[in-house]
Amino acid sequence: MTRSDTGRPRHPGGPNAGRPGFAWALPATLFFALFAILPLIGVAVMSFTSWSGLGNPAFNGLDNWVKLAGDKVMMQSLWLSALLTLLGVAIQTPLSILLGTWAAGHQKNRAILSAIYFVPLLLSSAAVSVLWRALLDPNFGLPGQFSSFFGGDGNVLGTQAGAIAVLTFVGAWQFTPLHTLLYQGAARSVPPVLYQAADIDGAGTVRKFFSITLPQLRNTIVTSVILMVVGGLTTFDTVLILTKGGPGTDTTITAFYMYRKAFQSFDFGVASAIALVLVIIATTISLVLVRVTGYDKMHSVQEGI
Amino acid sequence: MSNKSTWLIRAIAGTAVLALGVTLTACSTASGAASNRPENVIHVAVYGDAGNTVEEAMVKKFNATSDVKVILDRIPGANYQQKLQTIISTASAPDIFFNWGGGSIQPFVKADLLLPLTGMIKDDPKLESSFLPSVFNAAAIDGVPYGIPMRGTQPVILFNNKQVLTDAGIESPKTWDDLLASVKILKDKGITPIALGGADQWPTLMWYEYMFDRVAGPDLLTKAIGGDSSAWDSKDSRAALTKLKELIDAGAFGSNFDSVSFVDGGSPALLRTGKAAFELMGSWEYSTQQSADKDWTAANLGYATFPTVTGGKGDAADLVGNTNNYYSVIKATRYPDTARDFLKLMYSDEFVQAQLAIGNLTTTTSTEKFLDQAADPTYAAFQFTMVQDAPAFQLSWDQAYPQSASADMHTAVAQFFSGKLDVDGFIAAMQAL
Amino acid sequence: MKAKPNYIAGAGSVIWLLIVLVPIYVMLTATIQSQQGYAAKGPLSLPGSFTLENFTALVSSGFLAYVLNTAIVTVSVVGIVVVLVPPLAYAVVRSRSRGISLVFRTFLLGLAIPAQAVIVPIFYLITVAGLYDSLIGIILPTAAFCLPICTLILSGSMRDITPELYEAMAMDGATPMRSFFRLVLPLSKGGISTIIVFSALQAWNGFLFPLILTQSASTKVITLGLFDFQSQYGINIPGLMAAVLLSMLPVLLVYLFARRALVQGLMGVGGK
Repeated sequence: MTRSDTGRPRHPGGPNAGRPGFAWALPATLFFALFAILPLIGVAVMSFTSWSGLGNPAFNGLDNWVKLAGDKVMMQSLWLSALLTLLGVAIQTPLSILLGTWAAGHQKNRAILSAIYFVPLLLSSAAVSVLWRALLDPNFGLPGQFSSFFGGDGNVLGTQAGAIAVLTFVGAWQFTPLHTLLYQGAARSVPPVLYQAADIDGAGTVRKFFSITLPQLRNTIVTSVILMVVGGLTTFDTVLILTKGGPGTDTTITAFYMYRKAFQSFDFGVASAIALVLVIIATTISLVLVRVTGYDKMHSVQEGI
Repeated sequence: MSNKSTWLIRAIAGTAVLALGVTLTACSTASGAASNRPENVIHVAVYGDAGNTVEEAMVKKFNATSDVKVILDRIPGANYQQKLQTIISTASAPDIFFNWGGGSIQPFVKADLLLPLTGMIKDDPKLESSFLPSVFNAAAIDGVPYGIPMRGTQPVILFNNKQVLTDAGIESPKTWDDLLASVKILKDKGITPIALGGADQWPTLMWYEYMFDRVAGPDLLTKAIGGDSSAWDSKDSRAALTKLKELIDAGAFGSNFDSVSFVDGGSPALLRTGKAAFELMGSWEYSTQQSADKDWTAANLGYATFPTVTGGKGDAADLVGNTNNYYSVIKATRYPDTARDFLKLMYSDEFVQAQLAIGNLTTTTSTEKFLDQAADPTYAAFQFTMVQDAPAFQLSWDQAYPQSASADMHTAVAQFFSGKLDVDGFIAAMQAL
Repeated sequence: MKAKPNYIAGAGSVIWLLIVLVPIYVMLTATIQSQQGYAAKGPLSLPGSFTLENFTALVSSGFLAYVLNTAIVTVSVVGIVVVLVPPLAYAVVRSRSRGISLVFRTFLLGLAIPAQAVIVPIFYLITVAGLYDSLIGIILPTAAFCLPICTLILSGSMRDITPELYEAMAMDGATPMRSFFRLVLPLSKGGISTIIVFSALQAWNGFLFPLILTQSASTKVITLGLFDFQSQYGINIPGLMAAVLLSMLPVLLVYLFARRALVQGLMGVGGK
């Protein structure tokens, strides 16, 4: 199933009759243009203005961009976004591949466990964040209870390393179930013939995993990583509720910094410039990923262009 | 094929024109929206919390006799000020809105969005004379009144756990040296001397507010807010910061305060369970503790004024906190007379009694005679005397400065406590606000 | 498939099970305790007291209305997505119009437009349209931001319909409309259920649009209700946990009764 698209011979276009025209795409396109493309143009324009939300925006040329280029918090936020995204991918990908292929087995205990693994997915990001915020209180939450065994003062959100670890862990707790599910689905559609052949060759579990399962999961890995990257770059609810970008500005990632500039400091010009940076980075990354992995060929219109 | 492409080009061009059109309209209607304000109603925006019951009752009473009806919009507390600034220059702006006076309304006055209340007060002088002058004046900008006091005053108080103090053989500190001595005794007993919700950042700010007042006197901040940022670099400012640093380094707040949150109930629980001895907090600490454990609060929650600092310039009776809450009126309102009549309710006996009953301390001149009807008369009297006798009542810095400065201020405040900024770093950060 | 059980994997799976369950356990036990009980005994201990106070307080605070609002938003968003996306995906797969590939590429790029990047203009768009503080104001942008991924998913699944089938329809002189209803829709059921699940989750969990675009209690959705719990005057953990639990109950019910559809739907996101 995963190979069928790329392997299918191209059809030299059939008759034009019976093919949908552009009008079929129009309602969705207009709708999307109104709420995404048009605001994007608005953001681009606003990044050259100064505006506090009161009165009218005034053009101020490149001021916002100059300010941003010299803004330490902004530069740090880019590194933090990259770091959190990378940590997310690096931890969730192996974890969810292992869990997913394990859960793909049809044994009863695996079915029960994977049903339970699913539970965090039922909670919204806001719910996950308030839940963990309460659990992480150093005196009355989990750190307090664990520190009586392991020592330490439970100051998990008080240091940069601790806060980043918490965000990474909570992200993994929340999103691993989704990716596990993707891999579980994909692993189940690996043709059993491949494993039977490997059994005949006397390959062990580990060998089979690396030479059959992993290569077969390639496309799913791409999809899953793209989802993680885009999701990681735009993480917002979790940071707002769990760390508020702190301690200090130690977990102020770009998406949160943009919110802070816009809705706490009311500097909509600079906020728009940050937003534009965010869009450009996210677009570039997904374009590169899509190109490198051949994802676009897999999904692009195959005929008639 | 070709007719299809031209069709597409037209479609794209059409979208682009539509796009530009909407953007332009968006910009032009964003300001001055008087014409499209709703008819026959006025919207009153309030900070959404448990205190809304009184506001609801007032609105109900008012609507019974008024042709123009009042609609109460409760905006969730945590988000109140952000929301307000986002909507105030749009057609969705409320006619009357809750605020903290001072810097919280100054940008709106500058943008010419608010109605000076001089005319209303001429119609009904009681709108001014019914309130304590120090409170009323905190919502005047350049001498022009823009706010009528509502709800109550919320001074910051040094709370303690009586049981813990008794066990340690100490009293609530009268002087800074007492405090440092108590910190040492408590630390030796394995108790966190002071509970601090550092994760929320604003509880940390309260320590600066009192330290700067006690060491440098109230004038330093007046100067700083007035635009003289050199005040932050003065000798007094450095002395206040050094003293504060001394307290932090003595371990007064423990080591994990950056992970503790007041909002999540962490720091109040520390105080209540005796794991900490003191907490510096707004007067609402009382109702917070009460809703968690009524009996404990009645028996064991102690309160006292902030200690004095020997040789400091501030008066021992000076207060910091939220001077009061105010209602301000926007210029664009269709019904200024209705707004005036609604505001008159704020000094009515009924309003004062209702506020006292839910634990808010009003600042009308009539308040004193109703104090015995308060939820907790002793606590209410303690606060009222404090406010009445205070030579200066410094509005919380994050309210006194424009809202746009508060995020950076909170960051600096937290970073100085965690040791990430030194005295010079903190001064530079405050000067950059 | 394998003869002997895989012990290492088994141990790993149990560790992950603990990581998943501990917070859930704390949440469940907290909801039935009083504030003092929770603070006194710590999160991992067995509950020492029992009370339903947290739930009754929640119900009387109007939390159920937030659940209803969220349900309205979710159903509407799914409705818009289901109406708009299939024709678009059909056009993407079958149309030979030149503009289509441009449109599809735009949607691919749209995947990378974070909602918060454009939230300020969207706020003004919604205000100008008079939709501020209304559920429609949340529904429209939420649906718009579901379109890219849903289009990607559905066009992927529609591509599995072999060209021969389309050609057979065309031979019979079927209009695009007829092919769409007779052939494409029936054969894309899997893909459509995937986009339903996906957009429903997006709408159910949406936070940023409600945060910026609404203000009053009558338009409050669950996620915002949870956030507002952290108001300045302090909260109680058991009450908060009860709210978290209540916020997941409707999804849990769907999960219990339509587990297969939900899981299959989500698997579909990565299926291609």
